[in-house]
Amino acid sequence: MSFLAPFFLVGLAAVAVPIFVHLIQRERRNVIEFPSLMFIQKIPFQSVERRRIHNWWLLLLRLAALALIVAAFARPFFTVDPVAAAARATGAREVVILLDRSASMGYGNHWARAQDEARKVINGLGGEDRATLVLFDDGPEESVRATSDRGSLTAAIGQAKVSSGATRFAPALRLAQSKLSMSDRSRKEAYLISDFQKSGWARQEEIHLPEGATITPISVAELETSDLAVASVSLARASFSGEDRVTITAGLINRGGTPVTKRPVQLEIDGRVTASRDVTIAPNGTGSVTYDAVTVSDSNVRASIRTGTDNLPANNSFFFVLSPSRPVSVLVLQNDSADRSASIYLTTVLGLSTAPRFTTEVAAASRVTPGQLDGRSLVVVNDASLSSATADLLRAFVERGGGLFLALGDRNPSGSDWALLPGSLGSAVDRLAMRGGTLGYLDYSSPIFDEFKDPRNGNFANMRFLKYRTLTPAPTDHVLARFDDGAAALVERRVGSGRVIAFTSTIDGSWNDVPKHGMYLPLMHRLAQYLAQFDQPTPWQTVGRMMDISTPVAALVREGQAGAGGSGRARGARGVVVSPAGEQTSLGEGGTPTIALNEQGFYSVRLTGVGDRRPFEVAVNMDPAESDLSSLPAAEFLAGATGGGTVTPGGTSMEQAVLTPADIEKKQSIWWFLLVAGLVALLAESIVSNRLSRRSGFNLFGTNAGSRA
Amino acid sequence: MDTHLIPGARFVDPKVLSRVKDLELLAKSVVDGFINGLHRAPYFGASIDFAEHRGYVAGDDIRRVDWRLYARTDRYYIKQYEADTNANLSVLVDVSKSMAFASQGVSKLEYGKFLAACIAYLSHRQRDRVGIVTFDSEIVAHVPPSAKHFNVLLHTLDRAVPERPGRLLANLSLLAEHFKRRSIVALISDLYESPEALVEVLKPYAFLGNDLVVFHVLDPAEIEFPYNEPSRFVDLESGEEVPVVPEGFADQYRKLMQEHISALRTKCTDARIDYVLLDTSKPLDEALFHYLGNRERLMRVR
Repeated sequence: MSFLAPFFLVGLAAVAVPIFVHLIQRERRNVIEFPSLMFIQKIPFQSVERRRIHNWWLLLLRLAALALIVAAFARPFFTVDPVAAAARATGAREVVILLDRSASMGYGNHWARAQDEARKVINGLGGEDRATLVLFDDGPEESVRATSDRGSLTAAIGQAKVSSGATRFAPALRLAQSKLSMSDRSRKEAYLISDFQKSGWARQEEIHLPEGATITPISVAELETSDLAVASVSLARASFSGEDRVTITAGLINRGGTPVTKRPVQLEIDGRVTASRDVTIAPNGTGSVTYDAVTVSDSNVRASIRTGTDNLPANNSFFFVLSPSRPVSVLVLQNDSADRSASIYLTTVLGLSTAPRFTTEVAAASRVTPGQLDGRSLVVVNDASLSSATADLLRAFVERGGGLFLALGDRNPSGSDWALLPGSLGSAVDRLAMRGGTLGYLDYSSPIFDEFKDPRNGNFANMRFLKYRTLTPAPTDHVLARFDDGAAALVERRVGSGRVIAFTSTIDGSWNDVPKHGMYLPLMHRLAQYLAQFDQPTPWQTVGRMMDISTPVAALVREGQAGAGGSGRARGARGVVVSPAGEQTSLGEGGTPTIALNEQGFYSVRLTGVGDRRPFEVAVNMDPAESDLSSLPAAEFLAGATGGGTVTPGGTSMEQAVLTPADIEKKQSIWWFLLVAGLVALLAESIVSNRLSRRSGFNLFGTNAGSRA
Repeated sequence: MDTHLIPGARFVDPKVLSRVKDLELLAKSVVDGFINGLHRAPYFGASIDFAEHRGYVAGDDIRRVDWRLYARTDRYYIKQYEADTNANLSVLVDVSKSMAFASQGVSKLEYGKFLAACIAYLSHRQRDRVGIVTFDSEIVAHVPPSAKHFNVLLHTLDRAVPERPGRLLANLSLLAEHFKRRSIVALISDLYESPEALVEVLKPYAFLGNDLVVFHVLDPAEIEFPYNEPSRFVDLESGEEVPVVPEGFADQYRKLMQEHISALRTKCTDARIDYVLLDTSKPLDEALFHYLGNRERLMRVR
């Protein structure tokens, strides 16, 4: 039996009050001077004995009521101390060893010490004990399942290596919780061997180990650390003579207590050191190095910043990819009879865009050659009739990932069975009599209209449409906009890896006032970006991200490579990924759908069917937070992680009961029963004493003191 | 609202009287108020009234011969008159320590003093001779009855303090020998003695032709015994202590007290002694009634 608020037990002294008062009453001497004791002496002697307690049970009832109420306030609970129970427990143990292998463990000899600690735990296992080895960084990996074989455990520890991942304790602790919960062993123990980086724990995460389980943190952290990290790289682009020139600036952080003086910081491009700068950084300070601008003429050029070596070499290098920022190439096909003014609105607004830049070429629909599609990201068919050959060319173009925008006017672009037309085309609707129709519905969930969700970003309602074609979309097509009469205005269809959007009215202003409307420019920019699958390329990724085949394909489309009359079909694209460690993995159709970017360095993706062009490169860097080596005291960390607990005198060792006394007490709620019992006792006492008092005058303390009533 | 038996009784509330220090003024206020409230003439009047004639016998004082009658009848007759109406009043006041008991502001002795003063004043106004005897364990003061002793009586009363334990029976026996002449004897005491012994002592007073009125003065606390706390009771006279738990005791005490009172009343009545129980919380009118009743009876005696 324990008490949550034992200081309330002081109140038990209150039970002495009735007895004390009774004693006081007994000892009190009233002296009354009386004229004569003539009659008093005739009455049989009334002694103090008469003042004995007449109703023991009434007094006991009162004492019990007081004691019950006091006990209720002290919040009692029954518990078997899990730590003590675990200590007393004998028999086989279930042990889970959580070994941190995050990038920060590569600091100095942390990893070797962690391995030693893990081996110590394994050596301490008894013959019946069973252990599970869990290696974790940002995710846990069950390296060795529960086994009594010390040899396999030791071997697994020897083979384990520091990863590039960030530290996250919660998933590993949850795995340990799960393992221990499922175990039927009487003793359950977890050992957490780590450098206890502050960044590895989010406050809102809380772990509850099964009752009786203990967790012992073993810290390999050092109080004083010194480390220089390349934290970031920024690329400033400029165009010079049609070439992209990039100025590279590297940001560095000195996380040590000593200054960094004249440390060389090198820029490597394509494996060659192209520039080097010295840097001087104050203790716990930051600095930056800017290199001369370099011309980027080719895509997927590997580049990195390196600054020698120190205790944590992993963050001394920063990898990134240099690619020229190519404009999005757009081919506008219009009817042979149409003059340049037919597409003037479109070419003008696309020419105004800077990010991305668009280059447009206007061509007659009847004279399209495969070469004209080479390097294109987007083709716009502006109210033109296409030949069957052109239609086939465009279909192949879209399937490879190209974008197609169909502006429908009087002419049908192709036959009714053309796979790129999203729906079946009907006759034109003339809304002149009704002074034109308007757009009645926009799908704001679409990336095209997403930016216009906020009414302040523009309004499409006052666009007037005097005429449009009816288009009945297929069930698989997606209607992005409708007119006020319900007719489809914008319909999207996915074909292969590409996208087709049909606009059922013209873009030259003949059937509507859209080109003269203020929203025309942003609308066309969004449409063109969407169809060209334009995505701002990221020079690097962080460890832990996932990558699928769409990433290199989108890069191809962006660079206009989709139109090259290759044989590869982007939707069914397949590639081979080479990891920084040199492992090859098939990605896409026939291989793994996604690949985790777990290693620091460059992942090369070579798509099949794209010729001998450079492979697609993905630079991967470790999480910047992993460079922050500041650690929590192990006990403090576990107290926070497991919702508060007790620290054992062993310093770094803490045995943590899962249920705190408050939890156990709350669960049992004995106080409630005690309080009710106390109140019932008080009620009974007041009823009984009132009756007795009325009958023969009992005093308040269970003693019969005469006719007080 | 005046709840007293007679209108004048409002002048005799003992608590009011206790504030009056001058006993004469006190007695005058009480008695005048009381008498006026009666609305009937007091039994004052001629002190020498002719009653009858009787034949002369040798030895009679010849001055009492009715010579006029002799002239008419030629025989000697002696004139007889009504008896002397000037009675003796002797007040016997118990001033033992037990009389000092007071539960409500007025002690039994004070009450007794008021009573003595009042009846003395009444008698004095009727030209009675008044005297007083105070006693505790022995005779403290003895003022023989005299028409001139009223002030001495008041002075004696004023000086009376309860200092010593009392010996009621012994003193009464001793005093009985002093009342040769018929007197009204008023005994004021708390009578903590056996009724039998007391009445035996009082009987000689009656035998001598005295008219005895026993005023039994008791404090209400002595009658009601209102105590309920466990206490030690100390005898005022002897200093003896008795621990008492009043539980169940009070009833027995009250019963004993009532038996004592009724025994006194019965035995006094049997011995032709007037017994008046006085409660110090009650006005004096009852006591005065009894006294006047006795006084009237005495006046009719020749």
